Amino acid sequence: MEMLYHQFKRRVFGMAHRIVGPNDAEEVAQEVFVRVFRGLAAFRGDSALSTWIYRLTVNASLSHLARRGRRQEVGDDTLADVPAAPQVSRDPALASRIERALVELPPGYRAILVLHDVEGLSHEECAAILECRVGTCKSQLHKARARMRELLGPIGVDRS
Amino acid sequence: MNCDDVRPQLTSYLDGELEDDRGSAVRGHLRECDACRAASDDEAALRDGLRALPSLDVPSTLWAGVQRQLAEAEVADAHTPRWRRVARRVVARWAAAFKPQHWMTPRFALASSAVAVIVVVWAWRYTHRDVGQPVDVLATIARATFVAPSHAPNGANRANDPKDVATEIAAVPKQMTDDYAHATQELVALAQASRAQWPDDRKQVFDAKLAELQRAVDGATEDRPRQKAYRALIRYLQRVTTRDEVAFANVGGL
Repeated sequence: MEMLYHQFKRRVFGMAHRIVGPNDAEEVAQEVFVRVFRGLAAFRGDSALSTWIYRLTVNASLSHLARRGRRQEVGDDTLADVPAAPQVSRDPALASRIERALVELPPGYRAILVLHDVEGLSHEECAAILECRVGTCKSQLHKARARMRELLGPIGVDRS
Repeated sequence: MNCDDVRPQLTSYLDGELEDDRGSAVRGHLRECDACRAASDDEAALRDGLRALPSLDVPSTLWAGVQRQLAEAEVADAHTPRWRRVARRVVARWAAAFKPQHWMTPRFALASSAVAVIVVVWAWRYTHRDVGQPVDVLATIARATFVAPSHAPNGANRANDPKDVATEIAAVPKQMTDDYAHATQELVALAQASRAQWPDDRKQVFDAKLAELQRAVDGATEDRPRQKAYRALIRYLQRVTTRDEVAFANVGGL
């Protein structure tokens, strides 16, 4: 059981963190792991174990947001806790801006961006996790990125 | 390809998911269009920025929290009646089994409804089709038995006589016509028995149609046209008599 926890803890916590924000990420991750361990016996194997765990994570995160209400989620406290990213080369402040813009996104867009762009899952995996068609997944990703660009404004890349 | 065509494809283009010709067309447009190139660069930077977001450290308290919650849940289970635990499990399984699938789109629902309507209409028409009078097998056999001697050879060598065989073959159409006439007489008798209970307007329609079909029979001089006219008459009489039987059955006769 502990091995399973160590195998998935980073991704589960990372997804929860970026979907619900830092304040509630630990609570949501705990809820996910409890559901995983209690539901493991009933896991039917009709999808990959990772897909099932990520689906639980996304669903728990979105349910948590729905319970909590969006207003509170984007409060100043939440934004103040967003960590900066030391590794982005072209724009040192870009990671911080992206994290802030992520918080402003609607939860559905945030989920698909986190799964595909942040965690690097394929469209097929994202579709299985979100229980939608691959085409829907792609179109949601396109809309989510467009919304992100609106929120971020010009990113300021060097086009020379 | 213009900007409106390119913008929706930028995401797929940057993810390398466009086929060669479409990817080439998008790339060609980006070489010429500053606005789309800027949008593409922004989206690429955004994608790269998202991928480069730092991995987050998992709080050291997370595992302890999971263990604590698991322990609490198990204690709660111990205090929950067994029937409630079973009911909860059954409800969860049913919810999973009847969860809407992603293929259950409105388009799928529309198509399946159309198929269902077609099947129901076809089934209705099939079950309500005009099947005619049921064949009276015993009467047919009896008639065939009665008719057979006229075709049968009287002597042992007669069947081998080409002249007799030709005569018999020539007699078949006439025999068929006679059979049709006989069947028609029976059906007319049946229909007349039913006719006695019909209202006047229906009687008039029946009489007119019967007279018309009878005229067609009488007007035919050859065997084949006459047989055809007989078949039309027989079909009509079968419909008329069957309709009464069906009406009787619908009223509750069966």
